[in-house]
Amino acid sequence: MKDTLAILHRLSAHPESRCWYVAWHPLGALLASCGGDRAVRIWGKEGDDWVCKCALSDGHQRTVRKVAWSPCGHYLASASFDATTCIWKMTNDDFECLTVLEGHENEVKCVAWASSGHLLATCSRDKSVWIWEVDEEDEYECVSVVNSHTQDVKHVVWHPTQELLASASYDNKVCIYKEEDDDWECRATLEGHTSTVWSLSFDPEGQRLASCSDDRTVKIWKECTSGEDEDSTDGAWKCVCTLSGFHGRTVYDVSWCHLTGALATACGDDGVRVFKEDAAADPRHPAFYLSAHVPKAHNQDVNCVAWHPKEAGLLATCSDNGEIAIWNYQSDA
Amino acid sequence: MAADSIRLLDLVGDFVTGQVDSKATDVANGVKSGQFSILQLVEALGLSLTSSESQTRGRGVQLLSQVLEECYTSLSEREVEVLVAFYENRLKDHYAITPHVLHGLKALAKCTVLPKGSAVSILKSLFQDVHVQSLMLAERSCVYNILISLMESREEELKGLGPDFVFGFVQAVDGERDPRNLLLAFQIARNIIHRGYNLSQFTEELFEVTSCYFPIDFTPPPNDPHGITQEELIQALRAVLTGTAQFAEFLLPLIIEKLDSDMQNAKVDSLQTLAACASVYGHKELSDFLPSLWSSIRREVFQTASESVESAGLSALRALTSCLCRSVLTSNSEDSLHVFLDLVLKDCQHHLCEPDLKLVWPSAKLLQAASGASYRASLIVTAVVLPTLLEQYSSRTQCAQRRTLLEVVQGFIQPTASSWPAEGEETVLQPFRKSLCSVVFSALAESNASLQITAAKVLTKLGQQPGVLAQPDVEMAVDHLSRLVLEEHDAKVSLAVAECAGSLSRLHPAPFASRMIPKLKQEIFSEPTVREDDFDLLPGQSRDAGRQRCIMALASVSTQPSLVRESAPVLLQMLAAAHTGSRIFSVEEVVSVCCSLQRIADQTPNTEEMGHFFHDVVIPRLLTLSLHAALQGENESGHSSPLIEEAVLSAIVPVINTACAALQTELATTMAAQAVYLFLDGDVSFLPENDCPSKIQLLRSQSWTQSQLVCLLMACVCSLPHSVDIPEFDRLLGQLEELSCTSTHPFSYTSAAKCFAGLINKRAAGQTLDGVLEKTLRRISVTLDNQSSAQRIQAFNLLVWMTKALLLRYHPLSAVLTDKVFSLMSDCLLASQAADCFELLMSDSPDVLNRSCHADVRIMYRQRFFAENSGKIVQGFNCAEQGKKSVYLKALSHIVNNLPRQVQLTELPSLLPVLLEALSCPDQVVQLSTLCCLQPALLDPPPALSTQLEALFSRLLPLTASPSMKVRIASLRCVHALSQLPEHMVLPFRAQVLRALASPLDDKKRLVRKEAVLARGEWFLIGSPGGR
Amino acid sequence: MSGGARLENANPLIFQRTGERLLTASEEDEDVADPIDDREIFDILLTPNYSYDPEHPLSLEELNVVEQVRVKVNDEESTVSVEFTPTIPHCSMATLIGLSVKVKLLRSLPARFKIDVHITPGTHVSEDAVNKQLADKERVAAALENSQLLEVVNQCLSTRPA
Repeated sequence: MKDTLAILHRLSAHPESRCWYVAWHPLGALLASCGGDRAVRIWGKEGDDWVCKCALSDGHQRTVRKVAWSPCGHYLASASFDATTCIWKMTNDDFECLTVLEGHENEVKCVAWASSGHLLATCSRDKSVWIWEVDEEDEYECVSVVNSHTQDVKHVVWHPTQELLASASYDNKVCIYKEEDDDWECRATLEGHTSTVWSLSFDPEGQRLASCSDDRTVKIWKECTSGEDEDSTDGAWKCVCTLSGFHGRTVYDVSWCHLTGALATACGDDGVRVFKEDAAADPRHPAFYLSAHVPKAHNQDVNCVAWHPKEAGLLATCSDNGEIAIWNYQSDA
Repeated sequence: MAADSIRLLDLVGDFVTGQVDSKATDVANGVKSGQFSILQLVEALGLSLTSSESQTRGRGVQLLSQVLEECYTSLSEREVEVLVAFYENRLKDHYAITPHVLHGLKALAKCTVLPKGSAVSILKSLFQDVHVQSLMLAERSCVYNILISLMESREEELKGLGPDFVFGFVQAVDGERDPRNLLLAFQIARNIIHRGYNLSQFTEELFEVTSCYFPIDFTPPPNDPHGITQEELIQALRAVLTGTAQFAEFLLPLIIEKLDSDMQNAKVDSLQTLAACASVYGHKELSDFLPSLWSSIRREVFQTASESVESAGLSALRALTSCLCRSVLTSNSEDSLHVFLDLVLKDCQHHLCEPDLKLVWPSAKLLQAASGASYRASLIVTAVVLPTLLEQYSSRTQCAQRRTLLEVVQGFIQPTASSWPAEGEETVLQPFRKSLCSVVFSALAESNASLQITAAKVLTKLGQQPGVLAQPDVEMAVDHLSRLVLEEHDAKVSLAVAECAGSLSRLHPAPFASRMIPKLKQEIFSEPTVREDDFDLLPGQSRDAGRQRCIMALASVSTQPSLVRESAPVLLQMLAAAHTGSRIFSVEEVVSVCCSLQRIADQTPNTEEMGHFFHDVVIPRLLTLSLHAALQGENESGHSSPLIEEAVLSAIVPVINTACAALQTELATTMAAQAVYLFLDGDVSFLPENDCPSKIQLLRSQSWTQSQLVCLLMACVCSLPHSVDIPEFDRLLGQLEELSCTSTHPFSYTSAAKCFAGLINKRAAGQTLDGVLEKTLRRISVTLDNQSSAQRIQAFNLLVWMTKALLLRYHPLSAVLTDKVFSLMSDCLLASQAADCFELLMSDSPDVLNRSCHADVRIMYRQRFFAENSGKIVQGFNCAEQGKKSVYLKALSHIVNNLPRQVQLTELPSLLPVLLEALSCPDQVVQLSTLCCLQPALLDPPPALSTQLEALFSRLLPLTASPSMKVRIASLRCVHALSQLPEHMVLPFRAQVLRALASPLDDKKRLVRKEAVLARGEWFLIGSPGGR
Repeated sequence: MSGGARLENANPLIFQRTGERLLTASEEDEDVADPIDDREIFDILLTPNYSYDPEHPLSLEELNVVEQVRVKVNDEESTVSVEFTPTIPHCSMATLIGLSVKVKLLRSLPARFKIDVHITPGTHVSEDAVNKQLADKERVAAALENSQLLEVVNQCLSTRPA
């Protein structure tokens, strides 16, 4: 491996707690983090240093599990174990809690904005996925509750361009949803992982979906378009590649870089790995190789990997030890 | 007189209409001093008492009652009679007056001169005119106190009231809610029952009115000033309920009902009450309820998760069984004991045989409880249970199950105080002797350590009961134990074997002398057969380890003179062999031989015979060997005797110490003379093999191997009883002083100083002693004052030991010596030693100047020393320049650390600032001893601490990363102790502490990690639900 | 726990505690590093004689809920694996016992350790479900933010009688 993953910064973001998740602002100047200390923090670069611009610690009563920026970059959503999701509005460098979305019976595990910015999805241990519609007056309305999983829903992610939603669950499955007659329905169920699916990420074009799991593998799923395969129907997804043997413990997160196409993973063995696609492989049977690996990227579990939206190769990770690390990935290939 | 009566009228007026309460005391004082009589007071009160205003009448009665409460002892019978009549009448008056009336009656009831008949009439009026439960708390208490007083003094009269008295009481108490009053009411009820008042038709009423409180559920309010506890109420009520067999028909069903309760306290109380009443009842009262009682007890013991319920259940069962056993002796009727035990056996026995042994423990405990009730019960139970268990043992193959069964057996073979066979009865184990032995021996032969340990324990118990083990059994047991000593390398098994051998040898010395000791001896002296450098050899399996176990076993079995006579010579022979080099024993081995000898000396019965043995054989032998080794000196080529090693001599000292301390006066006197003349004049005539060169002068020898033998002189002469006269005292002291001041060999000069100290500590006070001491002190001072002297350290050493010797006996010169030591704390060379010497001054020395050496040690000398000197240290600390403060802190922490805990606690507040300072002192010794003295104080912290927590944590937490393991451990213990402080005090520090304790969890030393785990676990619980 | 739950398994097979670990000379030597070993983990789980099983105020070892052979630690690789055996196959408290064991280890071991807590294979009807739950750190974290659950766990870990 000539490719390198070099540490740039390390910040103690949520001391004495764990940092669960980080999310880049769409323009890339800010990074939001959240953790077991019930707080959301906003980080920005001043000179060479990353500093905490703002701490939102009065929104949630329990762990904040995930954060998500709206595509326009004016809003931030935070999902918490206190069963609520907060929507924060950013004006200059200040945040104001706009509304609190309630309805889930228990821990909200994830929140995600659709590319249009008009739809929001949340999921929870109550096994349901909720779709919320946002109108011009910043009013949020739940338009659909889908109960396709039989267990805890761990993650939701929207297609990069279409109104297509994917969810991952403790029941080892991934579901794909689409709107049908004003209601959201599960259109495909992706089975193959042998344990909890923790996270999902679409490729830049939205043709493929990467999933990572407690079974220590990452799987790449591809949507079958008609004509491509005899026995598949439109809208079905099938696993085209499984990355196994690379990870020592649970893979908690996967992120597909929309600038370079590199695939990064966060693992419970404290390692951060970057995979590259083998350009020579048959597109129907893609192959990935391990391009860079930092075994002790953090001294505890790595929970999240996030590629910078504008600057190719810039990667943020966070860990159970409360740290955020920022890396630079360079590839010769 | 007239003036007095006017004054009285004024006082009464002031009290009644002027509302001046304090006047009551003035009146009472007047009555007490004889200024006016009580009847004059009544007269003076006349108008108030007949006033139409109830308030005025009340005020009048109040004054009279208050005076009576002060003066009731001085009343005449006539006065009492008048007053009683008056008060009884007042009971019919307005209700607002009643409280004052009751206070007056309470006082009158205590009068010894209460006329005959008054008690009954007071009670009749009370019961008739007062509705007790509508009174206030204090007045109800008056009523109960009146009853109690009258019951104490007029028992016969009250009994004359017949059941009316009981009925009156029942009515009075019915509905009482106050715990203080209940204690009084229970006391009355108990008196009624225990003193034989006639209950007749009111038995059930009396039971009802008291049993309605059962089981007591009372939580004292926070900051309760009365300090009544739930336990007091429980005990008081229990005394009532279990006081008479007449209650049996009501109480037993109640207990059975309450045992069904979900409240654990109710269960425990019910079971304890059952146990209490079973000791009062006979089998007649119990018989109808036995099946239900048994099934309740069984259910509780089988199902409970609580140790207190279990143990209460077992005690109840034992009490029931005891009760039935007593009945067996007195009645000829149906043997209810058999019937009951059959029931117990039927329900429990089969659990002993179930394949998974799930209920084996509760069943066994129940059976053991029943069996322990009496000899008779144990006969019945063991006859059924033991064969079952022994058969089960043989049919099982798993070691864990066998061990469980053997542990159960262990519980059955130990008689309790009440089931021990009486004279002429033979042990209940008689029929099972053979099978028990065979099970135990087979278990001892297993390779499973825990099974072996259990077997050793069972064997111990069997051996402790006379008549259980026959001669061949004991011989077999001794052979097994000998084999285990030789072969078994598991440390815990060895320990169990040693305990078992020690215990058996007490009752059965002969086979140990004839079978075990020769085997051990043979093993010790046998030639090595296996190669010592064999890689396969585990630690413990080596020959050295085997020999080590033999050496220890020799001590363990030396419990009788006949055994000591066999074992001690083996050990002495080892020393001799080590000395001559005929066998190579390491220094450690020689030391452990000495330790065994010391154990033997320690556990030997203090008889004339044993005194002679040590005086004539052991001590001379030890002296001879040491002397020979010393004279032979260092041998540069080849073998040099281990007996010149300091470690070995230091191990011989306690042997001689212990033996000499136990010598009878006559032997002690010859011992003193022999030792003194040996050391002064080289008189070796009392030693065996005394072919020494003449003219040896050990105390003046230039050879360190000879001069260091002074430690043995100390052992011989400093541990003898006070009464023993030491010959040539002055000459001896002179030579010791010289040796301690001039020798350059540390062990020699220190031992000489200790010997000097040991002698002067016991010497009779007087001018002779003072003369010697002053002379020595002058010499010490001169040397110390001469900064360039080469012998300052020696002089300092002698000064410290001399100070200690005198300090312990409160000798006046000790103050001078102490100040001398203090002055050295600013000495540039000796400061650090001066600080450290306080540890020596304040702690017990193992080999001299302690109570077991018969030293003159006054109680509380440490407190006295602290009181006299702590101020000087604190002052010295405050005045010292920064770099030299630590010397004072070290001295202080040594002193405080050795104080009794109670004194530490009282002194801590004033010392806290200095101790906190000491924690930041870089000296690890200071840190450690400060932590050690803080830790116990933190468990029960003085209020002063709360303001110092910030400072304390900021100093403590960094110490958890100290380079010294002991400091890390001690600081973690302090942090742990602090977790027990009230939550509001420590919660602010929780996050900081948890963060700081994360790294000690990964300390390289296990002992540190262990403390960190404990401390951190506790800190996590602070402020967390369910934690605290 | 409610009265009903308590009776489920009133009398587990109780084994006597293994004695105290004997202190070795090297443990007292400042300069020697003592690796974290199986016995140490075992002692952590049993220290100091309290129970993880709210049904029985006895130690785990006495209940045979955790046996020494079922603790495996690798200090160098920073991994600990504990298999615990619920007292009977249907014991409804298995998850809670497992959670308490896990929390005790999380609080007692250096953060570098990866801690796996499992039910001994073949000893519980819902073995897989309980194991999966215990391995899910998100669920464990959420459980410990539930004050009722935390209360029970803390009571299990408390050295003081409740």
